Amino acid sequence: MTKAFPTGRGRARRMVEAVRDVSFTVAPGERVAYIGPNGAGKSTSIKVLTGILHATAGDVRVLGLVPWRQRRQLARRIGTLFGQRSQLWSELTPRQSYRMLASIHGLDPSRQDARLGELGELLDAAHLFDQPVRSMSLGQRMRCELAACMLHEPDVLFLDEPTIGLDLLAKQRFRQLLVRLNVESGTTTFLTSHDVADVEAVAERVVVMNHGRIIYDDAVAAMRRTLLATKLVEVRLAAPAGPLALEGVTVVEHDDTHARLVVDTGRRSVRDVLDTVLDGWPVADISVTDPPLEQVITEVYNAPDTPDTPDTPDTPDTPGDAAGSPAAAGPGPAAPAAAGPGHAAPVPEGTAT
Amino acid sequence: MRGHWAVVVATAAARRTLSDRAGLAVGTLFYLLVTGVISTVWRTAAGESDTGLVAGYSAAALGWYLAASEVTAVAINPRLIEAIGEDIAGGAVESEMLRPAPVVGVRLAAALGTALPRIACCAVGGSALALATAGSPPDAAGLALAAPALVLGVACNVATQHAAAAAAFWLRDAKSAWFLYQKFVFMLGGLLLPIEVLPGWLERVATLLPFAAMAYVPGRLASGHVEPGLLLVQVGWLAVMTALAALAFARGERRLQAVGA
Repeated sequence: MTKAFPTGRGRARRMVEAVRDVSFTVAPGERVAYIGPNGAGKSTSIKVLTGILHATAGDVRVLGLVPWRQRRQLARRIGTLFGQRSQLWSELTPRQSYRMLASIHGLDPSRQDARLGELGELLDAAHLFDQPVRSMSLGQRMRCELAACMLHEPDVLFLDEPTIGLDLLAKQRFRQLLVRLNVESGTTTFLTSHDVADVEAVAERVVVMNHGRIIYDDAVAAMRRTLLATKLVEVRLAAPAGPLALEGVTVVEHDDTHARLVVDTGRRSVRDVLDTVLDGWPVADISVTDPPLEQVITEVYNAPDTPDTPDTPDTPDTPGDAAGSPAAAGPGPAAPAAAGPGHAAPVPEGTAT
Repeated sequence: MRGHWAVVVATAAARRTLSDRAGLAVGTLFYLLVTGVISTVWRTAAGESDTGLVAGYSAAALGWYLAASEVTAVAINPRLIEAIGEDIAGGAVESEMLRPAPVVGVRLAAALGTALPRIACCAVGGSALALATAGSPPDAAGLALAAPALVLGVACNVATQHAAAAAAFWLRDAKSAWFLYQKFVFMLGGLLLPIEVLPGWLERVATLLPFAAMAYVPGRLASGHVEPGLLLVQVGWLAVMTALAALAFARGERRLQAVGA
């Protein structure tokens, strides 16, 4: 899909592409994080996927529906939670707001009650449903908001910065709830967040946007390994040790009891480093870890843009292809695979439409 | 049994208004103050005229007229147009587009529900005020007709404000629309004075516009003019303005889908 907005007036008027040739498919039940720096095109993409905006070009299907043409039909099957917008009226209790939302979604009262029972238990929030929203903490309110967007049993849940403003514990709890909801209800989860911990805790797959394009799309676990050819080696020393000089290894910390090394695995194998360290130093404990995801993502954001991938209009426009998928967005007949900024950007099989 | 979403939304909105008792009390007091002052001015004017009438209204009739007409302005957010404009520009309407019900329908139901408890409080307070300052109502039947007219008047006002506020989909700011609208309701809607006070040509213009259905009709009925046909005028304008609001929002939403908020 591509989405362009008009900007300027008169002769200076031109179209600016906020999202360009974005193409991906999300499988039912998947938990996908859609991330990128400010202005990358995340919000525009989500708005197109939910039907708030229509794409300027390309084909978009969510649950087999064209979002902007079948917006109300789609709204019955998706849930949306935008961290900075509330669906609950602060003067009322959540239960009173739920009654209103359920009626808008056409749920009959007996189903409403049963559903609230289920969600109250699942989100551990039943005791909150009869308290005025204005008297709740943000963490409590967000649990109630989550219940609000799950009330009509949506197939896909769109979450935009759902943990914004929450404290550390509330964030952790909220992330666990999102995973539990996905596991127990099979709801496809599509999350955007600037909080890397959200991505790590909730998502199985990460799609990275920058400058309106997808620059990376792969499993979260694979992201570190694929994108950063580095490993962190943490060493606890039994006694002070001498300096270490190895090509491809940067000693970032070293004192009498502890050392931290960054290994460029392209230049030296981890095994090599471990052998050298274990032979030469009095090691009490040693561990090898991937670098923090935050570092990986920063690397991805900062990587230079690749030149435009030429369109290959040889793929027939087959809107029905993605009908069974929760969400699929493609540039229509032309479907370039997402290209990485100097990295190999793996596109899972069947992703490009 | 499942109620229609519009009824459920209006009920929730009414409950929300009732939960803010202090706000309700302050709003009612404000209404009583404004009505008391304007009513005194007009009753004095009637008392000082040779016939004891102003444009055919006695002092007592004017007292009841203003008690009813002022309700339709005070019962809703006086800056509703501006608030809707901010919701359009600020993205709140975008979130509402993610519901399987028409945005404008939900908004109209919520605005009317919000107004209902205020209408009830002001009607009771206004009746007491008019009774104390202007005496018995000129005609009980007229007063009875004024009750549904108040609700219809507020509904017309809310629908017309939504139609006007939809300008924010194109202008990004509905402040100017609100400013104009307010003046029309004041002068041509019969809020501060019965429209019969206006010069003949302006009175004819006022009767052709929706604003008279908002404040003038309830006031006219409460002041002892038993004219049930006026309720039909209100229903007609309500239908027209609701359709206009729905059309304006539908077009506005399509524009939003193309160019964003």
